Amino acid sequence: MKASLQGVFGHRSRVQLAALLKVQAKLSLREPYALGPGIGIPAVLLFVFGFISKYTTGNVGGSGLTVIDLWIPTLMVISFIAIAISLPNTLVRDREIGWLRRLSTTPVHPSRLLGAQLILDFVLAAVAIVILIVGGMVIFGAPLTVGIPFFILSLVLAIAEIFSLGLVVAALVPTQTVASAVGGVLFFALLFLSGLWVQPVQVGAPLRDIMWYSPSGAAVRAILYSAFNRTPPMTSLLALVGYTLVFAFVAVRYFRWE
Amino acid sequence: MNRDNRVRTTRSGRANSARDAEDQRPVVTVKSLVKRYGRREAVNDVSLCIQEGEIFGIIGPNGAGKTTTVECISGLRTPDSGNIDVCGLSPQHDRDRISEFVGVQLQESALPPRLRVGEALQLFASFYSHPLDPHEVLDSLGIKHIERVPFKNLSGGQKQRVSIALALVGNPKIAILDELTTGLDPEARRETWALIERMRGRGVTVILVTHFMDEAETLCDRVALIDKARLRALDTPEALAARAGGSRVRFVPSRPVDDSILYAVDGVQEVERKNRYVTVTGTGDMAASLIDALAAVGVHVSELEARHGSLDDAFIRLTHDKASTGSTGSTGSKKVKA
Repeated sequence: MKASLQGVFGHRSRVQLAALLKVQAKLSLREPYALGPGIGIPAVLLFVFGFISKYTTGNVGGSGLTVIDLWIPTLMVISFIAIAISLPNTLVRDREIGWLRRLSTTPVHPSRLLGAQLILDFVLAAVAIVILIVGGMVIFGAPLTVGIPFFILSLVLAIAEIFSLGLVVAALVPTQTVASAVGGVLFFALLFLSGLWVQPVQVGAPLRDIMWYSPSGAAVRAILYSAFNRTPPMTSLLALVGYTLVFAFVAVRYFRWE
Repeated sequence: MNRDNRVRTTRSGRANSARDAEDQRPVVTVKSLVKRYGRREAVNDVSLCIQEGEIFGIIGPNGAGKTTTVECISGLRTPDSGNIDVCGLSPQHDRDRISEFVGVQLQESALPPRLRVGEALQLFASFYSHPLDPHEVLDSLGIKHIERVPFKNLSGGQKQRVSIALALVGNPKIAILDELTTGLDPEARRETWALIERMRGRGVTVILVTHFMDEAETLCDRVALIDKARLRALDTPEALAARAGGSRVRFVPSRPVDDSILYAVDGVQEVERKNRYVTVTGTGDMAASLIDALAAVGVHVSELEARHGSLDDAFIRLTHDKASTGSTGSTGSKKVKA
């Protein structure tokens, strides 16, 4: 136990992690599967919904919120989805070409590469959040009154949940081609459920509940409440925790390094 | 540069470094290794012992179990039964420690397409406690100029060399190289061979998996032949080749000679004549004795050609036990292949 702790936190381990972070960061810039969509899509959509918001009056679907207020949480979750969907792309490719297997012959297990990639993806998600908050408030005047503890909790749970879903895809698909196909379908399904085209408050009962308790809809709902200084519904938080546990379990159970 | 000469130089280089068995100590010991995939036996009861500093070849037809054997040695796979010892450690239980000093080059393993050669080397160097300088490794492999080239833009030969560089940068005591020269052009193969020689020169024990007999003959100190999951033979390439039919000497005598003079020479088993040529097959190094014996009766020889039985012959014989038993007719089939 002591040895393994040293393995994780020792000096050499930090050197190895730093080297992996550096390489994964460079690759992420050269093959911007995560960077492009993760930052680009929400940034572009922020402008789209920001301008829609300027030319439509507030109170969407009787929620008391304007378009930009309602869509900022959705755009945050869309950023997480885009990043999560890119993860199997490179990870499955690295497995397919034997890179992960090659790593496993060295003193560094390929799980460390995944760890480095997840750290970078997390940073990317944080950057997207900052862009959306600052852009939404400064440019489009969204009156966010963030309740910090629940806001952070909701975001962390949402990121954990959606990244785990990306890992489930990585665990279950055999090749990069399949990963792209599955990822594409999943991407649009999650986008819809997150309320990109129509918000839950704008639709009727059965669909609204489906959206609220879907993986991406629950994340949006928790973030939306905490962005306006309300306590998120416990059901949303529990749904996020439940999904995270199930996804993480499936990913760990079926993931193969070679 | 004449390629044949280069090959012969390496061959005689090995002969000079003929080692005293007593200086050697085993670095890898495999005892009764068994590995099954489902019901298929990949490796069945293979035992072998690899000495420090040697180039140890594992040869055999495709699917014979060569790769599985080295994967068990490197700890990538767990044997179903049997015992493997690598420098006193178990590859399965002490994998973390073994990966420090065993460098592995895998068959069909690529790098992320946009990763640059230098970056990959730096990354791997950071993994080990006592790595070599990545620049020097690239330099010694003659690929320093591609340091900034992404992996996807490399030629086949360059990729193989990068793969070797990655296996070496951790400064390993043992390097496992699997199907190293498959898919390389002749020039690149010769260069890769020279590289492996240099690795041994630095004291690295090399385990070389190959299905090219000329490669094994050129490089290996000893060769294990694995076929249908079993170890068929383990010896020096020369000894294996000799088993397949010994050597053959062909010449044109300055005047006709009587067979009895030739049969009197040590090791001669068979004399054949065709046109002006006399072909003598037998065991051992007969050429010098033959020339002496002929000189003694005043006969000179011209167009002398001496060939040892080749590993190819041994391979064919040992892997087709029944088909070619007793046939020594193929002895002369060895060529320096391009």
